[in-house]
Formats: sequence, structure tokens, C-alpha cells
Amino acid sequence: MRTDAIPVDPLPLTAEQAESMLQRQVKKHHIAIILLHWFNAIVWFFELLTGLALISSPLFRVAPRWYISIVDGVFGTRANMLQFHVALGLLWIGVYLVYAIFGFRTYLSKEVIRNEIALDLDDYRWLVVRTRRILGLTREALPPQGIYNAGQKLFAFMVYAMIPLVMVTGVVMAFRLFGTQVVGWAVVLHFCAVGAVVCGLLVHVYMGAVFPEEKPAFFSMITGTVNELYAYRHHFKWWTVIKAEEQAWNQQHANEAVAPAETARPGSSSADREPGCPG
Amino acid sequence: MARYAMVTDLRKCVACQACTVACNAEWDVPAGYARTRVRTTPITGTFPHLASSIYVAQCNQCDRPPCVEACPSGATSQHDNGIVGVDKSLCIGCGFCLEACPYDARYINPATKKVDKCDFCVSRLERGAEPACVITCTAHAKYFGDLEDRQSDVFKMVYAHGARRLETSTIRVGPNVYYAGEHASTDLVLAAFPPRPPRLLAAGQAWSRVLRPLVLAAAGATFLGQAVAFFNQLRNGEKDFED
Repeated sequence: MRTDAIPVDPLPLTAEQAESMLQRQVKKHHIAIILLHWFNAIVWFFELLTGLALISSPLFRVAPRWYISIVDGVFGTRANMLQFHVALGLLWIGVYLVYAIFGFRTYLSKEVIRNEIALDLDDYRWLVVRTRRILGLTREALPPQGIYNAGQKLFAFMVYAMIPLVMVTGVVMAFRLFGTQVVGWAVVLHFCAVGAVVCGLLVHVYMGAVFPEEKPAFFSMITGTVNELYAYRHHFKWWTVIKAEEQAWNQQHANEAVAPAETARPGSSSADREPGCPG
Repeated sequence: MARYAMVTDLRKCVACQACTVACNAEWDVPAGYARTRVRTTPITGTFPHLASSIYVAQCNQCDRPPCVEACPSGATSQHDNGIVGVDKSLCIGCGFCLEACPYDARYINPATKKVDKCDFCVSRLERGAEPACVITCTAHAKYFGDLEDRQSDVFKMVYAHGARRLETSTIRVGPNVYYAGEHASTDLVLAAFPPRPPRLLAAGQAWSRVLRPLVLAAAGATFLGQAVAFFNQLRNGEKDFED
């Protein structure tokens, strides 16, 4: 492996380079994240399905009456449907709590917040250019992005804000806590928070499952890996991190080959983390 | 289908509260709450021409019940026989229906935190018994039956003897509890305990008038935007991501 200097900006690639990068997979998602993602997706599918049917008053409902009748029929009684909705919601909260307890050290480290969560200058420029490109106002290249692009980060911010609200209001309704005034507002907030997430979810599902440029991102949620070319083109700043890690790893192993007795065994070095898990 | 109704004869009622006790016992109503209660109007007039009336309050099983519309989850619903029932397993205790009821006939049970109210003892009706308050009434002042049955007591009381609904010119939701007696007495009851306009809690108003349209508009706009992007994608043909 060559230890070339890692470029600061994305350079044009030759056809050969592009082809070889296309064949190489790099790890993007940990298996725990993949499982959580699909568990989350299934929960949201069924919770939305039943939640839409649970609001039956003509003053408040958003689903047509025939839809409510069908879901009522599937569950037999509306009470069964509510029980299902509540039980699945509580299971969802439980699973999230387990992830929060075991994962917060990994996912809320300063490094992860800086590299994967916070918006930097390139992100703000990306949002402007992306919007202008969608509107057909420019063909300008998108500014380089980290492991998540600015759109994904904004979606994440909204989800971080809304998910606790959905959970808390859901628990308030399920156990009828703090009196009727609070429960009344909890119903409304639950609806609005879910509404906000659904708006983001429409974009999320479209970008993930339909939009052609992001197809590797969709499959990465199944296999955990993306090809290197996709990382280079769409998440350049993340690609430079992977490259630096690879080079450090190679460097260390080269040193070991020279003087095996003097170096620590592989695995103890901080440079030997798994690529794609910069946390 | 039946149209169940109840008639309370204010001339016979002696305000003994036997109906209240029977109801509380039948339905395990917690102390301080009631599905039905007997009240008296304030005394009016000057001596010796004083007037007062008894009022037996309970859910009226209205023809056009505002509580049904206010209930988000469908826990409160109107049965084909006219009875407005509460499915406790669906109630989330939001209290919208309490505000909606023009007769304030509902309460939140502090033990279950779910709503409760008179439902004409529907589970007793199902096994052929009359409502608990009717069979316990010491003065036989309460009549229960089917308004669509011309032989029933309630039919006769309402259509032959002028039993009256407690409605005002503005609040007309079609109550199915009627009051027999002097017109002056029912006038006193209406003056002392008039039905109030149905209210919607601030949360419900915000939801119905602002937030539901807002969320629908936002989701609709996002969906339309996606649809436009998708059709552009189909029109332009898919390019592989590597250009």
C-alpha cells in the first residue's frame, strides 16, 4: 500500500482509480446500529399504521374513515389496537433505553459530536448548494461532507428533539399521568411531534430507497459497508479519516515487520480501531 | 332499533337519594363523585309564594352528543339504541369530553383516571333488568323504556303527558332524559341548571384548528416535493452514482 499524502480536496479520479475504489468496501455502520435502524423502522411502520387509525374523532382525525374501519377490522376491536400501539411503544422505549445506557459513551463522545453531529462551515454551504441544485439553479459541486451529510444531520437534529417528546407524551397517555389537562396536551404534542418526524421520514425514505445517487447508503444499512468510491464522492471528509487510519495501521505493521520484538501487539494501539468507527 | 329514554317525574320525586346510592353501589363510584345526583333549585319568590324544584341530574344520552365528537380515540360512542357509551379500554383520560358535555354529566374516576358516566345501566339492560336507579326509586318517579314503543311508559309520559327535555333555545343537543311535572318546576330547573355551550379545551382547539391543518400541509408539501423529484428522476433517467 502506498502511503501517499491524503488530498485535502477531492481530486478528479482516473477511470482505473474509480474502478478499483468501486470494488473496495469500507465499513460504515456497526451491526448494533443496523439492527436498531430496522427495529426502529418496523416499530414506526406499525405505530404509524395504528396511530393513524386511533384518532377517530372528526375534529382531529387525519386518516379517512374507511382506513380506520379497515385497521379496526384487522385488530378486531379498537381496544386491541390501542393495546398493541402502547405495548409496541413501550418495547420501543425499552430498546432505546438499553442502547442509551450501553451506547452513550460511544455515541456522545466529544469526537463523535464534532465529527458526526455538529454542523461545520462546509455543511452550511452544502445546504445552500444542495437546495440550489435541486431547484436547478446551479451545477456547482457539493462541498465535502463527513460521515453524515448536512441533510442527514438536520434530520437527526429533528429526530433527537422529537423522539423524547413522542416517548414522554406516549407514556403520559398510556398511564394517564398528571391529570386531564396534561394528558390533553400530551395527545396534541404526540400528534405534532410524530407529524414533524413523518415529514422528515418522507425525505429520509425517498433519499434512502428511491434516490439513485444514494443507493449505496441504502445497502449500507443492510451490509454495513459502502464502496470506497461512494465514500470519496459523497463523504469526502470521512474518506480522509478512513485513509489516515488505514495508513497509520499500515505504518504500524510495517514497523512491526522491521522490529517485531519492540512494538506492542496489534490491537492495543489507538490507531488500530475499526475503520469507519471514528469513535 | 330501540331508542332508550328515561323520564323523571318531578312531582313524585322526594329527593331521597336512593337512586344515587343504588347507582354508586352498582358502579363502584368513588366517594365524592356521582353518575347521577339529586339536587334542588334555590328557593325563589317571596313568602308565602315560594317555589323550588328537585332536579335529578345524569347523562342525557343526547341525540347529538358533543362528547362523542370531542373524544379523540373513539372511547365515547353512540350506540344504535341511542345510548352514549364509554369504552373504558380506549379511554386515555384526556378530559376533552368533560368540557364538551353541556350537562357536566361526566367525571374522571381518580382510581382508574378514566372517564365515567351514566349509560342507562347498559349491562343491566342486556340481561333484561332495568337501570339501578329506576328499580330503587322509592316514589316510582323514574320511568325507563323505548321511545319507539308506543305502549311504553316513557312514550306515554313524553307524548301524552308532556314530559320535557332540558333544552334552551341555543343548546339543543337532543337529551333523552325527560322531566315530567309542572311547567313552572321544569322552568325553575332550567333557570338553575341550564345546559351550557359545549366547550373544547385549549389543547383540542389548537389541535383541531391550527396543528392538524399545519401537520397535514407540511406532510402534504413534503410528499408533493418528493413526487416532483421522483418524476424528474424518471424523466431524466437514472444515472449511476459514480456519474
